[in-house]
Amino acid sequence: MSAPAATVPKRLRVCVSASDVPTRSRLAALVAESGHQLVEPCESADAVLTDGAANGILPGPTVALGAVDGEFAGLLPTEATAAQIDAALRAVAAGLTVRAPSRQHRSFGPLPEEASVLLTPREVEVLAALGNGLSNKTAARQLGISPHTVKFHIESLFRKLDATSRAEAVAKGLKRQIVEF
Amino acid sequence: MPDIVQNPLSSLSEALIERARLAHPLVANIVAPGHRMRSGTLWRKDVVVASEQAFPDVAEAKVTLSDGSSFAARVAGRDPGTNVVALRVEGASDPAPIAAGEPHPGALALAFGADDGGVSVRLGVIHAVGPAWHSRAGGRIDRRITLDIALTGRDEGGPVLDAGGGLLGISTSGPRGRVLVIPRTTVEGVIEPLLSKGRVERGWLGLALQPVLVPEALQPEAGQPRGLMIMGVSQDGPAAQAHLLAGDILIAIGGENVRSPAMVAHRLGPESVGQQIELRLIRAGKLVTVNATVGIRQSG
Repeated sequence: MSAPAATVPKRLRVCVSASDVPTRSRLAALVAESGHQLVEPCESADAVLTDGAANGILPGPTVALGAVDGEFAGLLPTEATAAQIDAALRAVAAGLTVRAPSRQHRSFGPLPEEASVLLTPREVEVLAALGNGLSNKTAARQLGISPHTVKFHIESLFRKLDATSRAEAVAKGLKRQIVEF
Repeated sequence: MPDIVQNPLSSLSEALIERARLAHPLVANIVAPGHRMRSGTLWRKDVVVASEQAFPDVAEAKVTLSDGSSFAARVAGRDPGTNVVALRVEGASDPAPIAAGEPHPGALALAFGADDGGVSVRLGVIHAVGPAWHSRAGGRIDRRITLDIALTGRDEGGPVLDAGGGLLGISTSGPRGRVLVIPRTTVEGVIEPLLSKGRVERGWLGLALQPVLVPEALQPEAGQPRGLMIMGVSQDGPAAQAHLLAGDILIAIGGENVRSPAMVAHRLGPESVGQQIELRLIRAGKLVTVNATVGIRQSG
């Protein structure tokens, strides 16, 4: 792979590589829509846009659309917008790697274990109020208890969650996963 | 008898090759158009199973076995609960029957995957064996078997054999890169519903729950120190129709106490769908009993 450009020009020289003519035209249109200049051959381009199906190694930083994963600096879904393609082309030309968030949920795993430290229902409510950015006074009014009691619950939350600030308590408390059934 | 002292490493190696030969006919190379290759296991002549989480969102794929024969396959059903996807294949022949394996911590295990035009083999020990567990998606997995083997996304879904050549199940990636085995019995249990209905139906109440401490004053009446506080109720779901409210604390389902998410999952298995079920709750400091009709959980 070529070294990243020291500066990325506003308008990139982009080359298109595709497996068939209709795809090539579509990609070329996307390059134009992103405001970049279509060039040939690929050796002279700042970045390459491909459908990932073309054989051979492409010179220069490449953005592949809807491709099987390969050695591409940029990987976007087929339905990527012109704005996303523009951003990805700029990023790979600057030597960065681009990946769209995967739709594939790789989340197989167990339900959370039984927690060793449990909060009381009131503490859960107070924590939710803290998470909403309420002051002790407002939280107290909302929960129908005294500000003093709110303070008492917050101290208990700090102890149980080993937190030293409201933000830390909220962050740690939220990690306790809510499970849906 | 040749008068040669057998090198123990060579014997081990020979034995591993023997075991690998047993698994070869089971290893399926699955390719869906526009997606990279995945591994699967030929479960019987018309069914290939693979890892659901690693499997692309497609309806059809091509399955190639290690002898080079290749078949068109149709995705019959997916179950995120047990992480199994079942594909129907036509034209393959039944793989040679393979004994059931028995997992023992510390025993050697071999994990197989498809490799371009062949089979990949990985060796490690069974890291731990535990009782049945429930996945976040609600599936019950008969045993918790973890391996100290590293897998890539494309190996996942291949068969796992024990040292005796018995089939333990199929491999899958779990949290933090840990490799788990979906036991043979668990795979067996979901194949029929996947083939006939395309999914495995499990119970659903439409509740978001968080384990909490039952207030001390109510513990004697609740009969337990823990419960599950309702943090949200799905609109028009079974719980909403039974008038459950956020803030209620669930303590029993169908007469059985529930103290953890796993116990709730246990009560909401496939057999619970459509059943009237009694829910015991603490609401505003009092014990309340309501009846709900268990719905069907949407996969995921």
